[in-house]
Amino acid sequence: MLATLLSATLVALEGRVIRVEVDVAPGLPGFTIVGLGDASIREARERVRGALRNSGFIHPPRRITVNLAPADVPKTGSSADLAIAVGILVGSEQFTARAGRAALIGEVSLGGEIRTVPGLLPMVAALARRGVRRVIVPADGEDEARLVSGLEIVPVTTVGDAVAVLRSRRRAGPMQPARVELAPVPAAGERSEASDGIRGPQLAAAIPPPDLADVRGQVEARRALEVALAGGHGLLMIGPPGTGKTMLARTIPGLLPELSDEESLAATIVASVSGEGPIRGLIRRPPFRAPHHTSSYAAIVGGGRGLIPGEVTRADSGVLFLDELTEFSRDVLEALRQPLEDGRVTIVRASGAATLPARFQLVAATNPCPCGHAGEEGRCSCAHGVPERYVGRISGPLRDRIDVWVSLVRMRAEAMVAMVEPEASVVVAARIAEARTRQRARPGGRLNARVSGRALRALAALRPETSAALADLANAELLSGRGTERLLRVARTIADLDASVAVEIEHLEEAARWRPPSVRPALALAV
Amino acid sequence: MLGVGSGPEGAAESGASDAADRHVPPLWFVPSARPGLSDADRDAVAILLSVHGLGPLTLGRLIDALGSPSEVLRVAARPGASKQLVDASRAEDGEGHAMPLGVAEAIVEGAASADRLLGEIRREGLRVVAQGDPDYPARLFAIEIPPSALFVRGRLDSLAAEHVVAVVGTRRPSPGGRRVASRIGAALARAGATVVSGLAIGIDGSAHAAVVGEGAATVAFIGGGHGKLFPRAHDRLADAIVDAGGAVVSEYAPMTLPSKGTFPQRNRLISGASDAVVVVEAGARSGALVTASWALEQGRDCFVVPGPIDAPTSAGSNGFLRDWPHLARIVSGVPQLLDDLGLIGAAALPVTRLPDPTDPASGQRIRTKSKVRPATSAAVLTGRSSSELAVGEGLVHGLVTVDELVAVTRLPLGEVLRALTRLEAGGLVRARGGRYEPAGQLAAANPKAA
Repeated sequence: MLATLLSATLVALEGRVIRVEVDVAPGLPGFTIVGLGDASIREARERVRGALRNSGFIHPPRRITVNLAPADVPKTGSSADLAIAVGILVGSEQFTARAGRAALIGEVSLGGEIRTVPGLLPMVAALARRGVRRVIVPADGEDEARLVSGLEIVPVTTVGDAVAVLRSRRRAGPMQPARVELAPVPAAGERSEASDGIRGPQLAAAIPPPDLADVRGQVEARRALEVALAGGHGLLMIGPPGTGKTMLARTIPGLLPELSDEESLAATIVASVSGEGPIRGLIRRPPFRAPHHTSSYAAIVGGGRGLIPGEVTRADSGVLFLDELTEFSRDVLEALRQPLEDGRVTIVRASGAATLPARFQLVAATNPCPCGHAGEEGRCSCAHGVPERYVGRISGPLRDRIDVWVSLVRMRAEAMVAMVEPEASVVVAARIAEARTRQRARPGGRLNARVSGRALRALAALRPETSAALADLANAELLSGRGTERLLRVARTIADLDASVAVEIEHLEEAARWRPPSVRPALALAV
Repeated sequence: MLGVGSGPEGAAESGASDAADRHVPPLWFVPSARPGLSDADRDAVAILLSVHGLGPLTLGRLIDALGSPSEVLRVAARPGASKQLVDASRAEDGEGHAMPLGVAEAIVEGAASADRLLGEIRREGLRVVAQGDPDYPARLFAIEIPPSALFVRGRLDSLAAEHVVAVVGTRRPSPGGRRVASRIGAALARAGATVVSGLAIGIDGSAHAAVVGEGAATVAFIGGGHGKLFPRAHDRLADAIVDAGGAVVSEYAPMTLPSKGTFPQRNRLISGASDAVVVVEAGARSGALVTASWALEQGRDCFVVPGPIDAPTSAGSNGFLRDWPHLARIVSGVPQLLDDLGLIGAAALPVTRLPDPTDPASGQRIRTKSKVRPATSAAVLTGRSSSELAVGEGLVHGLVTVDELVAVTRLPLGEVLRALTRLEAGGLVRARGGRYEPAGQLAAANPKAA
């Protein structure tokens, strides 16, 4: 007998509805799955066989053919396991489904338990858009599935549960217009672990971000960080090891404002697809990703058979922190150009192409030279010219995308004593949030880092004397041609931090401190 | 020259006669010096200089014996020339050694590949300046073994300036040494002196770069051929030196590899082309000490910047001061150095002139050796905002990071950052990877008394 059920699979960041047709026919016992499935789909045979046997059902010794339709969509992952298992039971007439059309999503274990799958959220959303009224989902994915409104979510833990649900006569409620709805914003303090923002390979969710008050000194770098975060500017910190570059970067999650509704939804979908563990609600904290410098090209950019999102996508509307920037492979650094330019990344593989969002803010840190001690008296063991070449590894296009540059130096012990009391993260975060609100309120609502060059001139609202000061700075050889726009961009952010409508001379003067080092060739010549 | 009684005219006169003593050497001192070299002879000298193993002394004897450089080449082109060349290289009075046969054969070989050598010279964009040419540096002419010719990229006229000072030092300086080299280089350039050095990494490079930064001419004597410029990291600096009106000079043919032996030989040119040598930092066995020794031997003034007694970068320079107590002079400050070099009057520094004790109008008696006192940082910073003043003074007093400036000046961070930008735009501050240092006039100034 033929059984037809609905399930879903994932293509890049989008869910696709698939029809699971199971035909249990007389003949030589066998189990075939057709329909552009990958290795994990073929392995579903073994999982389903075990799950049925160990749940008290019979895996029928007959000719079983499973077709996943439509045939042109490549299917990956284990999301159709449950539908296949239930399809076999219906096809072999082990029970009769009485409930109306329901879709099933979930991976089965050999013991018959049902586990959640990456991308549950976009899959449920796709089913909702198709008008499905009832979805059976793994219990541990219930919270995630419930982010989608307009359809009934039925959590189940075992294959037996799923059969019981389908057997009952209870029908799904009246159909509602389906939409992905936003869960209420969790109040501060009751944020769940997963929405806590720090979700990175290095910086595990369990560790709360360090507070800026814990960072001693480095006022220059702290200010650079504040300016960069306020305007979404790329930031590069250069300094010897132990000067606090990584520590400063790790304070970022505590400094960024919460995501907007739209960003929040996108971030949650990316988190869901990336399989970062159970999602308890919409992710409100901007992502902070800190991949290690040995990460592969595919890990950073995305790819693989299932077009899995890479770090640039996982950092979408958040921060991508590249510690030891110069140690990343050249391919990886070059691949950052497109996302930095367009805010998205296009991955083309044999299995298809996908364009994924990648509007991340780049924060990077590097040592000044391979040994790390350039500029420190008698400590650098690098050969002549090596330090210059080291930072020179950052290619021109990437340099152009970094608006804020700052050098950190080891502090002298005697200077530590007189140090000013550092500000706490909450104080700085409030200023950043305010500056961002000002930028979002403008037409287009873009952060200064992503405003076009022409729009920038208008936003700067330079008075004639300020324009003259800008020209003076350029004439003093503090700026290159391209540097002028960069200076104006950063000055706009400083003015926003200052709640100033126009960019004033003082903002330009501060912005000049954040320009890349060594723009004066003559001074950079002496090695 | 500091005689109180001598009027301005007297000073100018004595200066001129000093210069004459130094700059125009007696011709008899150099055996092969003959004015008015023809183009063919100049090319011939260049070709002969490319011959491995043929030094200026032997070359001089050959030219004396055969008449002219092109004659030497002509002889070398004949069959069986090697023996004839060996004979010719013996001095007339039979004194001195004849050159080995191998060198004579190399000359023959060189004569055969003359076109290739001349092509290399042209490709590198070089000019050959031989003894007797009008822009052959007069000071170099006077050293014991002057090079027969120089391979020059750029212009040599800056070596004829009234004051030429060499600034040399270690290849691995401390940041402080680098800073001092830049300050001295910039101050000398602003005072109108030509700075000579060796284009090496470290002190040499800092000094050259500071002069180029001032838009002035500087001359680099390199220890190998132009085609093998070492270090390669200074390619751009070399270009900048030439662009700024200075020159990169070598006594070696374009494709000569720099080696252990060429650098000490080159050092005699650095000191020889200058009136004085300033050693900024030198480790125990630094080549800068070789230059300093050459300076003493050639009768040039020798100045040494003293360093901490436990700093390896100053071990050699401090030792030199100890070894030559009456010959090597201490550099106690940049303005003081300019004063000792007789440059202070020419320096475009705001100089505080003390009241003239002989002037009855001043009504004051000042007991001081020097008539002039270098500008104070306060004088350099006059007319600037209070935050710039505070930040500028802080830097002069040895603060280096924004943290320190904020802590000491008690100014808001934004104020400090803006003051740094304004001072930097004014050329008074330079940023170096998170550290800030005084530049330009502020670097040459003495700290305001605290």
